Amino acid sequence: MAMEWAWLIPVFSFAAAPLIVIFGRFLPGKGSILAILAIAAGFIFFWLVLGSFLGADPATAADAGTKGCLISEDTGALTCSYERSWFHAGDLELTWGILVDPLTLAMLGLVTFVALMVQIYSLGYMKGDPKFGWYYAVHALFAASMLTLVLVDNFLLLYVAWELVGVCSYLLIGFWHERPSAREAAKKAFIVTRIGDVGLLIGILLLWREVDSFSMSAAFDAARTGAMSTGIATTAALLIFLGAMGKSAQVPFHVWLPDAMEGPTPVSALIHAATMVVAGVFLVARAFPIFVASGDALLVVAIVGLVTALMAATIALVATDLKRILAYSTISHLGLMMLSLGAFGYTAAIFHLLAHGFAKSLLFLGAGSVLHSTEKQDIREMGGLRRVMPLTAIVFSLGALSLGGIPILAGFWSKDEILIAVNDHRTPVFIVLALVTALLSALYMARAMMVPFFGVLRREHEGVHDAPWAMAWPMVLLGILAAGFGLLSFNWPGSYAGVGSFLFFGEKEGFHFVWWLGILSAILAMGAFWFAYLVYMKRSINLDGARNRFQVVLKVVENKYYFDEAYQWVVDRVVLVFSGFIALFDRVVINDVLVMVPSNAVRRLGIILRLHVTGKVYNYALAMVIGTVGLAIFWWLRSV
Amino acid sequence: MVSLMHFQLLSAALFAIGLYGVLARRSAVLIVMSIELMLNAVNINLIATASHLGYRDAGEVFANFDGQIIAIFVITVAAAEVGLALAIILRIYRNRSTVNVDEIDLMKW
Repeated sequence: MAMEWAWLIPVFSFAAAPLIVIFGRFLPGKGSILAILAIAAGFIFFWLVLGSFLGADPATAADAGTKGCLISEDTGALTCSYERSWFHAGDLELTWGILVDPLTLAMLGLVTFVALMVQIYSLGYMKGDPKFGWYYAVHALFAASMLTLVLVDNFLLLYVAWELVGVCSYLLIGFWHERPSAREAAKKAFIVTRIGDVGLLIGILLLWREVDSFSMSAAFDAARTGAMSTGIATTAALLIFLGAMGKSAQVPFHVWLPDAMEGPTPVSALIHAATMVVAGVFLVARAFPIFVASGDALLVVAIVGLVTALMAATIALVATDLKRILAYSTISHLGLMMLSLGAFGYTAAIFHLLAHGFAKSLLFLGAGSVLHSTEKQDIREMGGLRRVMPLTAIVFSLGALSLGGIPILAGFWSKDEILIAVNDHRTPVFIVLALVTALLSALYMARAMMVPFFGVLRREHEGVHDAPWAMAWPMVLLGILAAGFGLLSFNWPGSYAGVGSFLFFGEKEGFHFVWWLGILSAILAMGAFWFAYLVYMKRSINLDGARNRFQVVLKVVENKYYFDEAYQWVVDRVVLVFSGFIALFDRVVINDVLVMVPSNAVRRLGIILRLHVTGKVYNYALAMVIGTVGLAIFWWLRSV
Repeated sequence: MVSLMHFQLLSAALFAIGLYGVLARRSAVLIVMSIELMLNAVNINLIATASHLGYRDAGEVFANFDGQIIAIFVITVAAAEVGLALAIILRIYRNRSTVNVDEIDLMKW
């Protein structure tokens, strides 16, 4: 049974990190080989675990009882869990435990594969960097933390892994900490996500108070059977969602993600696709029984997701920095995933998470390749790069078309599933706005693809080279997946009945396709790409008129809806003023009064009291005599 | 006739002289000598009082040696004490070239 050993997948990478730090300089590639071997071992192990999971027979497994597999009543899916006691503290027992179910497997596959691709790509991208070994050590730790996060079966370990993911992202975003902007971005990412993490911690403690255990299944059982009241379930779900909003960059916590580009580009690929930001979506999916028991919490998830998706899509449309466009695109797609979860579209959300993960890591690696060769990030300074970087142009276009929702590519199918879920479970307002988001997403993807890669090549870029070998083939592999991953969503002959028969919540879902919705979204996507073609390549449509007319709107969107300014205002006017008051209180009341007054009193008393210690022997002898005589007189008086 | 009172007066006088020596002298050696004087004053008192009181059993009076026994203990302890004290004083003198207790004030604030 490979499943019982699934915990080895993160352990490989956990072990690699310190080894690289200590012995890295003696190893080939400054220790990068260790990180790559560890994650490759994890990736191979993932297939063994997947094989043994698919081979697990729930009937016999449940009878045997020892294998730990059963059909979970909370999720309806086959779930295998294994745990060991960690320690007891009073009545509280903490365990090391892993849980293998379809959601875990999907995430394991995504994380190990994308991390492997990104690490191989980084061999080329980070070549010659003075901190090459450290980069790989943190990379390994990052992947290991995320793998732990998706494997654990109790909330306490989940929180530990959650924080580790945050720390590693901090280290990688601030990797070039010689640059002030990188330092600021790293701090921003850490602090903003911390705000959500506090919510998550309170939520976990609330669940613990309810069910007296950190075990996920105990909490889910309580939520399902009604042992936990709906009010508690809603509160816990919303608090957990707060954590997810921080990590998954949902409005209003989205501000850290665009700044996270300060890290090396492969790190962005990892953060955006596999490790950091999808943790929030994963968390909501993992805690889905609680959200379902609450009901209201799901509506909040849907609304937050929709607002995020729409807002980020509009910003992506006007951003000019290639990586920033991709960052806002990630936020928008994370919003779509949250919207999907909020509309009971569990399968659709996770499927989109995977499809988006492959496409977005590909796009970031492509952007990294462009950046690596041209050292430019602003798309207005690029053009016609397909002539000099044909491979990058092809795979980047594949990713952009896939994410833009062009039919038969993966992004189309996953986005379609989301639209169906939204259409089935939420009001028409949601589906209309979701379609608008889909249209915008196709538009900005078309722009990000056409402006840098098509059109006229700039003279200064004539000599640039395409990506080196190590950077090229991870992109090709990811490109194949970004294009073809959608094939998994269909009914294939045999026992496979679409992704919904493997990855589902409650009941198995067959492949379904709503014709009017599918055709509408396909028309929107293709129309958007056609429109972008006319604007940016044929230049038969000039947008300057529209730009002038909507100057005010444009200004608001270009300034990212003034979120950063609003936060800055709050920090300057509220937080700093309040901290100034606290500091004053500390200085005057705590320090000057409560600390200095007693200490001065004791010191003065000491100065007075020490006068009796003369150091002269006869003084002491006299004191003894007086004392003795005094005692004698006392006894004499008593006896009389 | 020498009565108990005489012994006690002698003892009290010796004790007072010793006490005065301890309080008034500056030399460590003289202080030790004064302490010896006080101890011997106590010895005189002990022996005299014990011999005066005697030991009574069933109406008859026998000789009482309790005072002598304690006095011998006191003498033993005093001898040990003088040995120790003189050794300490010698060390102090070696280190500080003085046995004036006023100048031995390292422990003073």
